[in-house]
Amino acid sequence: MEYLKSALSSIKQNKGRSFLTMLGIIIGIASVIVILSIGNGMKSYVNSSLDDMTNGAVTIEINQKKTDRYLTPQNLTTIEEAISEIYGVSTSFSTYGEIHLKEDHIVNLLGGMPVMERELSDGIYKGHFYKKDDVDAARAVGIMDQSSAIMIFGTDDVIDKSVEISFGGRSIEITIIGVAKSDEEALANARKARQSGETAYYYHSIYVPYTLVTQKLGLNDERITSYKIYTHPGTADEAALRAKSVTENLLNLRGEGAVSIQSFASMAGMYNNILNVVTLVVALIAAISLVVGGIGVMNIMTVTVTERTREIGIRKSLGARTSYILLQFLTESAVITLIGGSIGMLMGFIFTKIAEQFMSFPPVISPMNVLLVVAISTADGLFFGIYPARRAAKLDPIEALRQE
Amino acid sequence: MPVLVDVQDICKIYNPGENEVRALDHVSLSIDKGEFVAIIGQSGSGKSTLMNMLGCLDTPTSGKYYLNGVDVSHMTDDEQSDVRNREIGFIFQGFNLIQSLTAIENVELPLMYRGVAKKTRMELSKAALENVGLGHRMDHKPNELSGGQQQRVAIARAIAQAPPILLADEPTGNLDSGSSKEIINTIKKLHGEGRTVILITHDPGIAKQAKRIITISDGKIASDEINPDYIP
Repeated sequence: MEYLKSALSSIKQNKGRSFLTMLGIIIGIASVIVILSIGNGMKSYVNSSLDDMTNGAVTIEINQKKTDRYLTPQNLTTIEEAISEIYGVSTSFSTYGEIHLKEDHIVNLLGGMPVMERELSDGIYKGHFYKKDDVDAARAVGIMDQSSAIMIFGTDDVIDKSVEISFGGRSIEITIIGVAKSDEEALANARKARQSGETAYYYHSIYVPYTLVTQKLGLNDERITSYKIYTHPGTADEAALRAKSVTENLLNLRGEGAVSIQSFASMAGMYNNILNVVTLVVALIAAISLVVGGIGVMNIMTVTVTERTREIGIRKSLGARTSYILLQFLTESAVITLIGGSIGMLMGFIFTKIAEQFMSFPPVISPMNVLLVVAISTADGLFFGIYPARRAAKLDPIEALRQE
Repeated sequence: MPVLVDVQDICKIYNPGENEVRALDHVSLSIDKGEFVAIIGQSGSGKSTLMNMLGCLDTPTSGKYYLNGVDVSHMTDDEQSDVRNREIGFIFQGFNLIQSLTAIENVELPLMYRGVAKKTRMELSKAALENVGLGHRMDHKPNELSGGQQQRVAIARAIAQAPPILLADEPTGNLDSGSSKEIINTIKKLHGEGRTVILITHDPGIAKQAKRIITISDGKIASDEINPDYIP
């Protein structure tokens, strides 16, 4: 307590000098805060975008370079039954085709099972997704995005409309039975593209029963070498491992490393690792200013000790122990950096808020980082305060008292 | 009266070797509890070295120094600090107050180093300042006080924790004659209250105020006699 009082009064007495000394720490802490916040923001942005993109879908793949075994639709039912904690399992056959109307459009025909509806991040806008009996009967029905409907037909009122899709030389007529909701941005883009006639740059997904692709079109046989599982939030990794292991058992591929998980969660993990490293490196560069600032503190504290040699002599002659003098000056340098760190933190918050205006994602200030920064700045002062404080503590009282 | 200061054959030698300086050359002296001693000598006589030795600010090259029965001639820095804090109240020529602290905060310092609680510290400091007639100036900073008043703050600081010895090093050296008289009277009053006072000076006029006068010259004790002109 006494140390703190003495430190504060000494800092107050040299306000200008103390502030200039703090400047290095302020800049250092502020930049570290801004960088960490932007890093955090980028991470949570990437994570939430990936989350939006996948809605918990994980792809399980059987590597055809390692094995020629494959699954059948019946196997998928077995897998679905074996893993209880998922929404379902679906094949994912994808085929490109074209629609020739007023303009030409490229479409991606996604053959799956009804559970694939989970891939629609905003759900159905009009109509409905195809059902199990549509799959069983291999009906030529499909679901497209609202934005795709606008670009292809000029309207999203397309339920029961038929459209001819050609694949190479052959073609098939599909009836649209559902329209998936698109977000405002996509809708605006679609309208603009439709008006200016630039729809050719887009390609459109149409969800159809997989049997349509395999049986009616005969484009794929029913050899399933990859499928998707649709998981509940937070259970993707666990479910994926179960699916992998069941698949390996079914195909007798245990331990061959032929079945792999292509989850977006693992992709997100990869992104996060890269972002972590980048953030860390940039933050370390910013932290160099903490070292420079610390040296500034050491410098000014050495000057302070020299200036106050007589005071130290007086204190020692009155019975102050070495440790008292040491702590007095250590406290002073730690208080300087702590105040500097707090100001820096405040500046960091302000700069982060300003940066937010210019970025497509909001920076995130995490309480852990704030704690870390406070701890680092205090430690900075303590570390760089050791040298001047030891100098002060070791002064000979006779010599020190002689000083004018 | 019990012996308080017992210096036995002390030498202090600087720059040992060919150019050695014998600041103290086989000095022995003993001071009883309750004495009022002046140590007088010209500059360079070794009186400052003796004062540092008596004040436990320095250690002798050879010889023994028993303070209050304890051998203090070979101690670590921290042990010396503790002895100074416990046994000695310093009064310096240049007052040696800490400019950034108020009068009472200055007086509190030795009590703080002894670990006395804040409340007791305040009470003792207040009493000491009142004893030297500065009860009304407790919250003033040193630069708001006259030289005489500053020296009285220093005296209050020296007596606040009631050490056995008051060690005054040229206490009037920086003061005009009026203030000097005031300070000497204060010191005499403190002696009258039963304190042991050691006064170090170069001024025979000041030394004459003491009961016993020790003259030091060339690092040796030249004379040690009872002052016939002593007026209590």
